[in-house]
Amino acid sequence: MSDLLSNLALGFATALSLQNLGLAFIGCMVGTLIGVLPGIGPIATITMLLPITFNFEPVGALIMLAGIYYGAQYGGSTTAILVNIPGEVTAIVTTLDGHPMAKQGRAGVALGIAAIGSFFAGCVATLVIAALARPLVKLALLFGPAEYFALMVMGLAFAVVLASGSVPKAMAMILFGLLLSTVGTDLETGVERLTFGIPALTSGIDFAVLAMGVIGFAEVLKNLEVPEKRDLAKQPIGRLLPGREDLKASVWPIVRGTLVGTILGILPGNGAVLGPYASYTIEKKVAKDPRRFGRGAIEGVAGPESANNAGAQSSFIPLLTLGIPPNAVMALMVGAMTIHGIVPGPLVMSKNATLFWGMIASMWIGNLMLLVINLPLVGIWVKLLDVPYRLMYPAILVFSCIGIYSVNNSPSDVLLTGIFALIGYALLKLGFETAPLLLGFVLGRLM
Amino acid sequence: MSESAGIREDRARRRIEIRAPQDFAAGIALVVLALIAFWASAELGEGRFFTVGPALLPRMVATLIGIIGAGLVVSGLIKDGDAMGRWTLRGPLFIFISVAAFALSIRTIGLALAGPLVAVISGAASPETRPRELVLFALVVTALSIALFRYLLHLPIPILIIPRVLVL
Repeated sequence: MSDLLSNLALGFATALSLQNLGLAFIGCMVGTLIGVLPGIGPIATITMLLPITFNFEPVGALIMLAGIYYGAQYGGSTTAILVNIPGEVTAIVTTLDGHPMAKQGRAGVALGIAAIGSFFAGCVATLVIAALARPLVKLALLFGPAEYFALMVMGLAFAVVLASGSVPKAMAMILFGLLLSTVGTDLETGVERLTFGIPALTSGIDFAVLAMGVIGFAEVLKNLEVPEKRDLAKQPIGRLLPGREDLKASVWPIVRGTLVGTILGILPGNGAVLGPYASYTIEKKVAKDPRRFGRGAIEGVAGPESANNAGAQSSFIPLLTLGIPPNAVMALMVGAMTIHGIVPGPLVMSKNATLFWGMIASMWIGNLMLLVINLPLVGIWVKLLDVPYRLMYPAILVFSCIGIYSVNNSPSDVLLTGIFALIGYALLKLGFETAPLLLGFVLGRLM
Repeated sequence: MSESAGIREDRARRRIEIRAPQDFAAGIALVVLALIAFWASAELGEGRFFTVGPALLPRMVATLIGIIGAGLVVSGLIKDGDAMGRWTLRGPLFIFISVAAFALSIRTIGLALAGPLVAVISGAASPETRPRELVLFALVVTALSIALFRYLLHLPIPILIIPRVLVL
């Protein structure tokens, strides 16, 4: 126990440094921003910001990227409640009861309970990560290369099973990712492999280039096909703080949601996405009068909102302790870590103790920041919805191109990203998911 | 969505043999990918029983991809599935050109041109774009990114290069 406390103290000392505090703040702001804006998800944003973080210290870089991820969970609920647009996949459930609440003039209360629930869930998840880390790492240290390989294969298998689309297609994408990870100079023999004689490929495909093309740019292409329509009927937000009745009704949903979200988040695959659904189902089951759900039941906001935030954070557990990415965002984190020269795995905790505990502490701080960013500034965030996508995507492209160029100061990287964007678009059109591809690529590099 | 696709499929079944066009095409794409991988690794040694050669892993993976591809082709012929969906050329084409334009101009002329180029060319990808608004917006975004990346983050990005006259 005292061990845990001293570790957390170390973490807070790291996370509270001026630079890291600033980066956590930027991460949370950006996360909220993209959470609010439909059409830009955390995966695409993290891929786009990945190149820029190369200039930071590894701890700061990861703190910022993590902030984007869980910040997006907060932001996503804001638009779900106010304008019935789920900013993120995880906020879809929130629209069911959150928006009816807004229609009844209780938007503020819905936002308030969502933020309180998320904050509680974030605190609990942070503690769970801190408590589970040491035993899990001890276990992982007993593993040899063979066990490790088996664990990775298991991770891949889970990712396939839990992928939303067809299983053979997900498997094909993982294999495609593996294949792409073999491009470049072979480490054993020094021979050039699958480079087609192109000099830019001899050192292998850059993770940032692949991710930006296949996920970031391809998402822009996907969004361009959908004509934009936003229903911006605005209701007054009303008071933000829930009354005693509301709080009483929400306490248990928040606790249950946190529990369900934390457990599902640890699972490989799309844990953080499953959490809110599971929580909503549970709340509906235990409710005395299930008919209220869908008509503005506060439990239907409190539970799922807690679950999605808990899940977003607990999905860091497999990454930080075992070095295995349970989902696409965590695969990006693996990419970020390796770029900074950190090999993800059980050794991170002992070798990079400041990074490990600093990240955990920053999550708690980040949650506190999000509470402050979200509630009072809610009006500003909603105004952002007025920015049309026709202006948003050219700006995204400019920033992304600069980001990719700055990784190696290489124009050919930018060109390669463009090619991967086309490949990513074709894959989407053929019904392939691109997240498993990234997982396969990352694991191929780790093997 | 899947219902309407199903109805469309029902109609298609009577005419053509391919029942799941998307899966069928996906399968073919995978087979082609596997063939490309084999072709690209043709000159590499596979290694003997005790020594693993550089081509072993890519070929193993390519074989598996090919098998899955073939499976999808077959199942696309016998099982009902999703239709192909609409492919657009406009988006991918202009986005790719804009990115390529950035790649070509960033080192030779600099961000002052490359930035507006990306924004304006990519703007052509959307039917909702308003040209005048976009040009203005492109200039603002470029100015902002010069301030952010060059002066705040100190990245070595060329801003404006006019040969023998000016290097910023």
